[in-house]
Amino acid sequence: MKWLLIRCYPARWRARYGDEFEAILEERPLGPFDVADILLGALDAQLRLRGVGADVTQGRGISMSRRIGGFAGISAAPLLALAWFLGYGPVAIDGVVPGALLLAGLSLLLVALAGLTAFQARTNPHATWAAFAVPAIGLAVFSIGATATVVTGDDYWGLTMLGVLTGAVGSALFAIVTYRTAVLSRGAALLIGIGSVLPFAVAVTNFYALLVVALIRFLLGWFALGIQAIRLDRPSTFARPT
Amino acid sequence: MESKVPEFGRFAEPSLLILVSLSDGPKHGYAIMQDIETGTGRPMGAGTLYAALARLEEQGLIEALQPVDRRRPYRLTAVGASNLAEQLRGLSEFAQKGLRQLGKTSP
Repeated sequence: MKWLLIRCYPARWRARYGDEFEAILEERPLGPFDVADILLGALDAQLRLRGVGADVTQGRGISMSRRIGGFAGISAAPLLALAWFLGYGPVAIDGVVPGALLLAGLSLLLVALAGLTAFQARTNPHATWAAFAVPAIGLAVFSIGATATVVTGDDYWGLTMLGVLTGAVGSALFAIVTYRTAVLSRGAALLIGIGSVLPFAVAVTNFYALLVVALIRFLLGWFALGIQAIRLDRPSTFARPT
Repeated sequence: MESKVPEFGRFAEPSLLILVSLSDGPKHGYAIMQDIETGTGRPMGAGTLYAALARLEEQGLIEALQPVDRRRPYRLTAVGASNLAEQLRGLSEFAQKGLRQLGKTSP
C-alpha cells in the first residue's frame, strides 16, 4: 500500500524525497485521511513538475532580483567613490574617466534600487515601488543633465541639480521603506537615509564637510545593503539540532 | 489581509506552520508533523507536509541537511527567518485589529 502511494509521485520527486517520505509513512499506520492527503500531494507534485505551478519561477525570480540588486549595490558604491575621488578629490583628473565612472555607478545604483525593490515589494508593493520611482527618476534626470553638459558643452546645471535633489529625496524614501519593511539591513537603511538627508543640512549651514560625510555614509550604506542582501542566502544559526 | 507569501497558494498555512516549527532548530519531517500536531491540535498529512516543504526549499526559505539514516532534517535559512518574522508581525497586527473591532461591537 505504502509502496503504491509513493509510486504515485513522479520519479524525479521520488529521487529527491522518496527515502525520507517512506520513512515518515512507516512511523505510523495510515488512515483514510492520510491516503487522501498523499494522493492529493502526488497530484500536486505531478502538476508542479510538469510546470503547471507558477510559484516556482516566481520564487526564483524574487531570489534572483535580490542577488542582482545586492551585487549591483556592492559594485556601485566603490565606482561612485572612485568617480568622486578622481573628479573632486585630492588627485582630481580631467577627462571623461570620472564622468564615465559616475554614469556606470549611477546605472548600477538604478539596478540595485530595482532589484532590492522587487525583493521588498512582496510586503508593501505600493509604497515600495513609489519609493523606487522617485530616486529612479532623479538618477535618470541627473544622468541626462550630466551627459548633456559633457556632450554639448552647454550648462545644464539646473537639470542636473533637479536630478540630484530628486534622487536625494527618493533615496531617503527608499531608506525609510527599507527600514520599515525590515527584511534587509536596517542599519544600512539608516546609513543611506542619513547620507541622503545630510546634503540638505549643507544648504542651511554652509558646512561643506557634511557633503563628504553624507557621501561616505550613503556609499557605505549601499555597500552594506548589497552585502547583506547576498548573505541572506546563508543559513541562519541555531543553538541545537533536533 | 494581504498574504505575505501569495506564491504558496493553498499551502500558505502549512508553510507558515512548518516555518514556525523550524524556528527553534532543525527538524526532520516526522518531528515537524508531531510538533505541528502538538501546537495546533490538528494533524498535518505527509502529502501536505512534503508539498509545502518542496515549495519552501525551492523558495530558499528552508534548506535540507545531511540525512541521518533515512530521516533528513530541514532548517530555516536567514531568508526564511526573515520571512517568518514578517508573516508573524502581519498576523499579530491583523489579530490586534480584529480584537479591537470585536471590542467595539461587543455589548
